Amino acid sequence: MIYLLLLPAFIMLILSFWNLEKSKFVLPVTSLLILYPSIRLFFLPKPYKIWGEYLVADDLSAYIMLVSSIVAISVTLAVSTLGLHVKISNNAYAKFYRFFALFWIGLTLSIVANNMGIYWIGLETATLSTVYMIKTNSTVMARKEAWNYMIVGAIAISLILFGIILIYASAKPILGERAMDFSALLLNAKHIKSPFLFEIGFAITTLGMFIKMGFFPMNLWLANIERASFYPVAALFSGILESAVMIGFFRFSKIASIVNSAHVFIFVFIYTILTIFIVSFLIYRAKDFMRLFSLSGVEHMALIALFWASGGVFAALLHFGAHAFLKPALFLSTGILESRGKYRIAGALRGYSGIKGKVFYFLTGLFLLAIVSAPPSPMFFSELYGFASMVELAKTNKHLLLMIGAIILLLILLSIIFYRFIEIYQSMKYEGVEKKKVVYGNEVLALIIFSISLIALLTPWSFEFLRSIS
Amino acid sequence: MTSLLIGLFLATLIVALFTMRLYRLILWYSLNSLTLALLAITIGVNIDDSAMIISGFLTLVLKAFLIPYILKRVSIRFDLSRQIEPNIPVHYSVILVPALLVFTFYLSEPITNMISSNTNDVAISISALFLSLLLMMEHKNIAPKIIGFLTIENSLFLLGTTATNGMPMLIELGIFFDLLMAIVIVNLLFGHDDEEIAQ
Repeated sequence: MIYLLLLPAFIMLILSFWNLEKSKFVLPVTSLLILYPSIRLFFLPKPYKIWGEYLVADDLSAYIMLVSSIVAISVTLAVSTLGLHVKISNNAYAKFYRFFALFWIGLTLSIVANNMGIYWIGLETATLSTVYMIKTNSTVMARKEAWNYMIVGAIAISLILFGIILIYASAKPILGERAMDFSALLLNAKHIKSPFLFEIGFAITTLGMFIKMGFFPMNLWLANIERASFYPVAALFSGILESAVMIGFFRFSKIASIVNSAHVFIFVFIYTILTIFIVSFLIYRAKDFMRLFSLSGVEHMALIALFWASGGVFAALLHFGAHAFLKPALFLSTGILESRGKYRIAGALRGYSGIKGKVFYFLTGLFLLAIVSAPPSPMFFSELYGFASMVELAKTNKHLLLMIGAIILLLILLSIIFYRFIEIYQSMKYEGVEKKKVVYGNEVLALIIFSISLIALLTPWSFEFLRSIS
Repeated sequence: MTSLLIGLFLATLIVALFTMRLYRLILWYSLNSLTLALLAITIGVNIDDSAMIISGFLTLVLKAFLIPYILKRVSIRFDLSRQIEPNIPVHYSVILVPALLVFTFYLSEPITNMISSNTNDVAISISALFLSLLLMMEHKNIAPKIIGFLTIENSLFLLGTTATNGMPMLIELGIFFDLLMAIVIVNLLFGHDDEEIAQ
């Protein structure tokens, strides 16, 4: 199974050294190979040992693996026409694929890791490979942001390792070397003799993860990096890298909740509300698509973390899936939306002709409305269920009024974001000058894959599966 | 012996904070890694842990010799500025560094109280982590920031060694692999026309 999971990435790595003009069109087909192990993993009895105790698939990792595979396939599909939208040399193109392959290997390891150390190694590999992917854009800004990412990413990843060492130190007296395993920690969390040490470790690890996702107070670095890099890098960031970070948060917080659920909730609650508070105003002032989508991604990640910490596992996972499909779809659309310049929002949804153009226009419009939770977007349902889980949690600890106050504040902040998105949508559709824009078949196909995946997410079968993940 | 090596580890890091020349900084990083390697080998021999002894030797080869050598080659190849003026003047750093040391000892007290053995060593590891962050923050140039990142990694290795008597071998090897990949990426980032940014 491990070979099958890593095979498409290895093929991509090898092909990146060959004639790019030919391999560029083979790569989307090879990326399809990931579907087989991902779907197989989905139906195998869980927990399924992929590689001893180190890599073990459970329902959560199988779900995230499938979501990430779909994103990877669609991004590979859209990347083949990247050169038609932006100026990129063949050498940079080949390097992009090379580091995309390494990124994919790292993230696959992180997603199916049952070991904190392997999770970290995968995440570090992915982080480092992204640094060079940012630099494939040859502008001075991209190169500066690649260095910035190297520094901020290094600090974030070091904090995660620092926390992991403390968690390991807290559990080693009772578990020995198995204190590195998520499954062993989950089973024995109650018996940890130094819960305070574990909690410090969890807080530091979570801090590192939150920095990587652009949470408070590091709200702008991710948006700057995504603005500076080519749009598929932003799609990979939001669709796969953040998913891998989030699965780590899910796993660590699940164990930490057994140690002390109240501490986990308060920590995540304060952090995420502060993040959404800042981000909503930043979104209100966003003047280009990349920053808009990037900041919106931070907002959604904060909501996922909040729903998860409130016990709304179903809501968090539904929101997670919807975000993983919607955000890369929107980032991939920016290649076309910004074809007349970065800050030309007015009229960006006008000038599409032919079947491909009309499908693009229709799907992008829908995605824009879906990302602000307009029904029947999966985000509409996930937010309803998420807020319900927050109320349910408050009922058990007699803080109902406080929680209702927090929900009202959140709704006000989400309304600001909703208002801004609708304003932009109307400007894209009804303002500006109509100029003809070119849409390519593979890009439309990538958007169709995302929309089918979103519809699949809304089926009763998907809801039932997500509810079964505890 | 262990206490002496940990003392030297901290001393090399403190001297690195006051260094204003790039090659000197690389040298202090190399010595910092050397003390770390000797420490891992010593602890490994004391507790009869072959995995830690192997980690120690890998640290010696990779961090004490190979990485400093590559960094020096990179700095020559891309003609990096050898004058690395810190943002914080040295006369302020003289006060700041001991204050940070005392503060981190105080801050890490709840953590060290939970760890049965090597409590001072764990506190020093956490102090080293903060000092490495300071090294990263106090420089405008990219090269010292990279060395700051590498010393953070050294501090985490020290923490892993002192707080947990070493991480599992597979994880240590993975961390070494990632470190080498980081050096490759740094080399690639410096490539071509990046000198003006690096300065």
